[in-house]
Amino acid sequence: MHTKANALAQGFIRCHDCGCLVKTVDHPSACPRCDSQLHPRRPHSLQRTTAFLFSSFFLYIPANIFPIMTVNQFGAGDPHTIAGGIIELIDSGMIPIGLLVLVASILVPSSKLIGITLLLLCAHFRWQINARRWTVMYRVIAFVGRWSMLDIFMISILVDLVNSGSVQIIAGPAATAFAAVVILTMFAAENFDPRLLWDNQQNL
Amino acid sequence: MNSTNYDSCPECDLLLRSAHPKIGEKAHCPRCGFLLSRPRKQSVERTFALSIAGFILFFPANLLPMVGITILGNANTGILMSGVIALFNEGMVAVAIVVFLASILFPLVHISLSLLISGHLYFNRPNRYLVGWMRWMHHLDEWVMLEVYMLGIIVACVKLMAIAPLKFGWGLYAFIALIIITTMLTSGLDTELFWQRIEQLGKENNLAH
Repeated sequence: MHTKANALAQGFIRCHDCGCLVKTVDHPSACPRCDSQLHPRRPHSLQRTTAFLFSSFFLYIPANIFPIMTVNQFGAGDPHTIAGGIIELIDSGMIPIGLLVLVASILVPSSKLIGITLLLLCAHFRWQINARRWTVMYRVIAFVGRWSMLDIFMISILVDLVNSGSVQIIAGPAATAFAAVVILTMFAAENFDPRLLWDNQQNL
Repeated sequence: MNSTNYDSCPECDLLLRSAHPKIGEKAHCPRCGFLLSRPRKQSVERTFALSIAGFILFFPANLLPMVGITILGNANTGILMSGVIALFNEGMVAVAIVVFLASILFPLVHISLSLLISGHLYFNRPNRYLVGWMRWMHHLDEWVMLEVYMLGIIVACVKLMAIAPLKFGWGLYAFIALIIITTMLTSGLDTELFWQRIEQLGKENNLAH
């Protein structure tokens, strides 16, 4: 079902690492320029992306219901979830920072999960879509993923600095789950091959 | 074998005649809009210079205190590594490792690799490891999260300012300079040019023997 304009249909494979084109008639297994393994498309793209996606879906639940950090003040503990921390920031008048954290740690991960799910469904069921628009969506998903690590870095700074006898910040179990979600969705996006979207289009 | 006059778009696999945009021009894929190439002025020289600067700045950024805070008379200063250690001591080993990799080890490896690669290209020295270094750098790119860490510092400081007075140290300024340099480094690096130069160096080396 490859369209004529595709390099693969014309007998070329593009190297993932250095980007050079190699003719398939020579049956090469490694790139002549950088010696990395050649694959016409990312190997097992849909299976791997699905696996990473499912793992991150399941970890997304503990990441949101457990406390991501606990503020101990004079012996009294005050646990915060991800959403709780944002509400507190907005309540105390720090609206721009609150919105920034809202985007980075709630909107980005959840829209990434939904977006990758849609991309997978589209590639698997060969939906006839506006492939250009979907490729842009993939590009955005792949770009914004790393910015969700903001929360994790912020916690590492807070945990380190607020550590006197009477006031203490302790990282909670959600931090591990959230870091895992961010990394797994990054792996999922990296393993998804947007060219699969184009391969399935019949009317190009 | 590989030096065809064709290219293909990495995101939609459209077969294209190789575009050779001039400096300051960009080549986009006509079908999906992907930025195919964007040649940079003196890419090798600039990468080499920025890598040296970045490599030097890496040490003050990591060793000098970044932010100091005084809570109820207790003074405390933080550097990149002390955050990792604090997480580790609390038993958050996995998170500590992730923070260590994304904010300390990967940036160091990335900048060392770009220093090695651009240095070899600048002095026209062939090296059989160049190809491997280039591939490693390509894969590490996404996992260097210094600018994300910077946002983390900003948010943490805004939160802490409400509790106690903060003091910013030289480490923070070095860190900001390091981020500016790494950003200029990644945006000024012409990957295609680097690969071509590496291939050329390898061929010259084979002919010489």
